[in-house]
Amino acid sequence: MFPIINIGPLAIQAFGLILLLSFFTGSWLAARFSAGLGTNTDVIENSILVGLIAGLLGARIGFLLKNPAVFVNNLFSLVSLTPSMLDVSFGILVGLLTALIIAQKKYLPLWPTLDVLTPFFLLIFAGVHLANYANGDGFGIPTLLPWGIQLWNATRHPVQLYALLLAGVLFAWLIWHTRLLKTTGFNRSGVLFSVILGGMAIITLFTRAFTAEKILLGAIDFNQAVSFAVLLASLGLIYTRAFPNRKKVSVIISMGSNVDPHTQLSKAVEVIAEEFRLRRTSSRYQTQDVLEGHQAQDFINQVIEVETELAYPDLVKQLKAVEVSLGRQPGNKITVALDLDVLTYGSEVFTIQGKHIPDPGMLKYRYIALPLAEMSPDFRHPGNGMSIRDILEKITDDTQVLKINEVENGIEI
Amino acid sequence: MNKTRFIIIAITLTVLSLAWLLLTPTLFPVADADASRSAPHRGFYAPSFTLETPQGDQHALEDYQGQPVLVFFWASWCSVCKSAMPGLESVYQEFSPQGFTILAVNTTTQDILSSAVNEFASKGYTYTMLLDQDGSVTNAYRMRAVPTSVLVGPDGRVTDVVIGSGISEGFLRARLSQLLAQESE
Repeated sequence: MFPIINIGPLAIQAFGLILLLSFFTGSWLAARFSAGLGTNTDVIENSILVGLIAGLLGARIGFLLKNPAVFVNNLFSLVSLTPSMLDVSFGILVGLLTALIIAQKKYLPLWPTLDVLTPFFLLIFAGVHLANYANGDGFGIPTLLPWGIQLWNATRHPVQLYALLLAGVLFAWLIWHTRLLKTTGFNRSGVLFSVILGGMAIITLFTRAFTAEKILLGAIDFNQAVSFAVLLASLGLIYTRAFPNRKKVSVIISMGSNVDPHTQLSKAVEVIAEEFRLRRTSSRYQTQDVLEGHQAQDFINQVIEVETELAYPDLVKQLKAVEVSLGRQPGNKITVALDLDVLTYGSEVFTIQGKHIPDPGMLKYRYIALPLAEMSPDFRHPGNGMSIRDILEKITDDTQVLKINEVENGIEI
Repeated sequence: MNKTRFIIIAITLTVLSLAWLLLTPTLFPVADADASRSAPHRGFYAPSFTLETPQGDQHALEDYQGQPVLVFFWASWCSVCKSAMPGLESVYQEFSPQGFTILAVNTTTQDILSSAVNEFASKGYTYTMLLDQDGSVTNAYRMRAVPTSVLVGPDGRVTDVVIGSGISEGFLRARLSQLLAQESE
């Protein structure tokens, strides 16, 4: 137990310090994860911070609502910094709702955002247990085991440390599984979140058995019952996210060629339409070669939307086969017979073999964003929730991209 | 991971968790001993003590059984304590007719006796000042920083431990209203 941490002449309450540290470390890690995955880091960071402030205000207002007499006597106490006059559950509710409203307003996609927030949730979870240990709260039942700790006139199970240790194991797994927070490690959004949620439920269910202060429903501990329900929910979520019923996924593909490009693109569309259900196509656009400047032949680009039941890796394999069948020489970046790039795969956000989905190129290059805007004017980025119009406004790439209008007797620019 | 493997793992986890949930009351019964233990923590009986006022009168915590008591650890060099004490006085004035008592335990081992007595007398506080001359009560209450406030309910159990400036008038009023309302129910 260490309720007070002394730093020089300062005596700091460990409970609050630990929670604040885990809060800020957690949001920093979530921001890093977000930057790697291509979700909307700024909005996520903002909603966490505004959520915290709203939560603190909400906690004070909740206390006011329960004890109105206090504030009638002394209005000043409404804004005083006293840490004890807080209604925690009301504060959490207000904080979460605020963050949710911001996320909704900014069109943050639910599942990718929850995936990105996993390190945040896990650190808060661990922080609460460490803070409880510091304060001697949530203490264990008496035990004779050699690792029992002296607390409140008995040798007890260090139950807060059991939970902290297990949370540490889950965190280590998260870091390892996500390759240092670079990928979710799953091809479907929301699976990572559901796994971490289930893990926290199992830890709570397991460690609550050793807790002395229980809220009993009959003989069953309320917290354990809730954890069991959360575990069932998370297993259900993993199942529906990882093995969806609706197998058909809509995929947007960017096509490009600079060797007899019009014929090549026509052929490509033909071949693809044979293998997939073609939903939409954009017009063609002429683009200076982004990589090589003016030296190489100009590119013609186009985006198409198809429907497939293939898993992402199989889809990529099939598209590579189409590229090769139409004369693509792998490695040659100057003369490109046909380039097919998957821009989005349903609404999923993931990284596989170094390739990010949705393709970050659509946020950088006009030759991708422009045809995309024409084909689907109401497109929203599955990772960061930005509309295609906002994306186009933010693109700084000044390469000339011209729409090609096909007319009967040839090609007119 | 394929679907079948996931379903097997999910069912195993569900069965194991349910078994643990149902076996917990038998395997790890809540200790009855805790109900009669004393400790300076919410839910336990407040550790008992007997201390003297600067005038030599003895006061025991047990004397106040049946009424709410605030045990307030303080020192005369502690500015947070000194800024909290006038607030305590006004709450004391308001709630003492209903039996509320404040025992302001001076941590005399970490203070200068004369300054402490002067500080308390000069401000005209009407609640009880006690001297912890050998630090035994401070130890029994595991006090780590001043002020530490321990609110004890009429049943002798600790309801709140507040370290630092959290012991405000507003907080105390709110908790006392609740405690007294519970008692009269």
